[in-house]
Amino acid sequence: MLCELITNNTHNNNIALYKCYNTNKVFYRKAAFSHWGNKVIENEKKGYEWFYKDTEPLAEIRFRRKYFYELDIPQFKGKKFPSESVISGNEETIEMIIDFYKGRWSTNDIFAIHGDLALCNFIIDKNNIKLVDWEHFHYSDKEYFGYDIINMLFILIYHESKRTFSLNKRNRDFLKKCYIQLVEGVGSSNKILEKPFQNARDYLLKFTDRFLINTNTYDKFVLFGSPLSVLEHFDSIVTK
Amino acid sequence: MLAPQHNYTNLSSAVGLGLIGFNEKDIVVDYGCMCFDSLVYASRLSKKIVGINPSYEKLNTLQNRLVEEDVKNCDLVNANYNEQHFNEVFNCVIINSFLEQLIIDTIHNKSIFFDSIIWPKKKDNSLGETRIGFLQTVYDGLRPGGMLYLSYTNKLRFIVFLLLSKLEIMSFFTSFSLKKALRFISLVKAIYLFLYYLLPQKGFERLLKTNGFVDIEKYAVFPDHKYPLKIIPLSKLDECSFEPVLYASREGSLSRIFAGVKRRVDRLIFKKFKLFDLSPSFIIIARKVS
Repeated sequence: MLCELITNNTHNNNIALYKCYNTNKVFYRKAAFSHWGNKVIENEKKGYEWFYKDTEPLAEIRFRRKYFYELDIPQFKGKKFPSESVISGNEETIEMIIDFYKGRWSTNDIFAIHGDLALCNFIIDKNNIKLVDWEHFHYSDKEYFGYDIINMLFILIYHESKRTFSLNKRNRDFLKKCYIQLVEGVGSSNKILEKPFQNARDYLLKFTDRFLINTNTYDKFVLFGSPLSVLEHFDSIVTK
Repeated sequence: MLAPQHNYTNLSSAVGLGLIGFNEKDIVVDYGCMCFDSLVYASRLSKKIVGINPSYEKLNTLQNRLVEEDVKNCDLVNANYNEQHFNEVFNCVIINSFLEQLIIDTIHNKSIFFDSIIWPKKKDNSLGETRIGFLQTVYDGLRPGGMLYLSYTNKLRFIVFLLLSKLEIMSFFTSFSLKKALRFISLVKAIYLFLYYLLPQKGFERLLKTNGFVDIEKYAVFPDHKYPLKIIPLSKLDECSFEPVLYASREGSLSRIFAGVKRRVDRLIFKKFKLFDLSPSFIIIARKVS
């Protein structure tokens, strides 16, 4: 079987991602290169099991427990997004994802956090949404509903700001619209959505261990690396 | 094969071996043991691994590190590359950065890496014959259907060629003698053979086919075969997407500018023009006919 190495040891995760070309199908393989990598792959498997529970893709996800663990993930059909995606031009998709999140996350019995929700981890085929890269998956409390979406929005803001140096009014209005869409119907006990960006950062700080990060948190999460004043600024934009 | 989850040694530099897919019943040999991570990685996933190296010092160092890593299924053999003849013993042969070493030794007519005492006194000066002889030893040691993993650098093309040419041309023009002229001719021949056999993967493919290998797959490796971050199968260039690997540099603006320029040049060479013959390193995987 022919394989292409896509990434190796990203953010010191001790894992390699291969794209494998079998005779009749293409799939992705994540392979560990240390016991830390094993831990992350086992965790990722749990994430896939949680998300794809009782659905067709789960049967195609294969986990092998050798000395170093391996996880085979099918190549999902649909539109993919670059890692440096921005808000502009993706508004419709972002709204669709928030809708999807509200439905999918609130109907599951056990609440969980993806941990690295970003546009580049979605594969969208018409209305069929697939989500990959569950390395930072963990179970959590329902009071932290919204963390993943806030994290995704901040990544989009980060790349948008890198490209245009500031957010225009259209983007700011759109962020506010997203926030309203997200908080609608959420109970008052929620611990994220009052000051969404600051609280999401606090969650990351408080539960860093749950994310299985093997590198400096600042390098991995832009939400963590940004000054508090910036987060306050964006909190005021969306909550006002 | 399950081990207690106590140590966290990261063997990510052995990522190229992930292309093979070891079986837990496999018996593997590593010629030269040039990459410690590869030796340990293969030992973890196979039944047994044999490491062959002609240097006592190197073997002692390796042995100590294997003890630290708690590797118990590795036998280290102190021998020259063609002194130990195995007959259809191995399921896999690993040759990591070892062939260029053979060539450098042959060009210099002495070992610049191994202990000179162990290196044979009578040397074969022909690069082609040395390599064919070595590959024949490798072929004989493999079981039918066994895999060969070969990785080597392409950077030598520039470094060795320029260095040798410069030295020889300088000495040739400073004082002329028949001996020097003959040396110069033999050097030109050596460089020709070097370019023919080592550098283009096509030359390698021909050499492997001559030695009875089949299903030969060639891969371009970035930025280096000693720690690959991107490996592209050359037979799937249409389906693979090349993006320059990040040469992360935070030290000084000059380094950052250099890294930026390199990324742009790489994108042009490999993504636009697909000149993968210029890849920094290559991996070749071949199979002995069943």
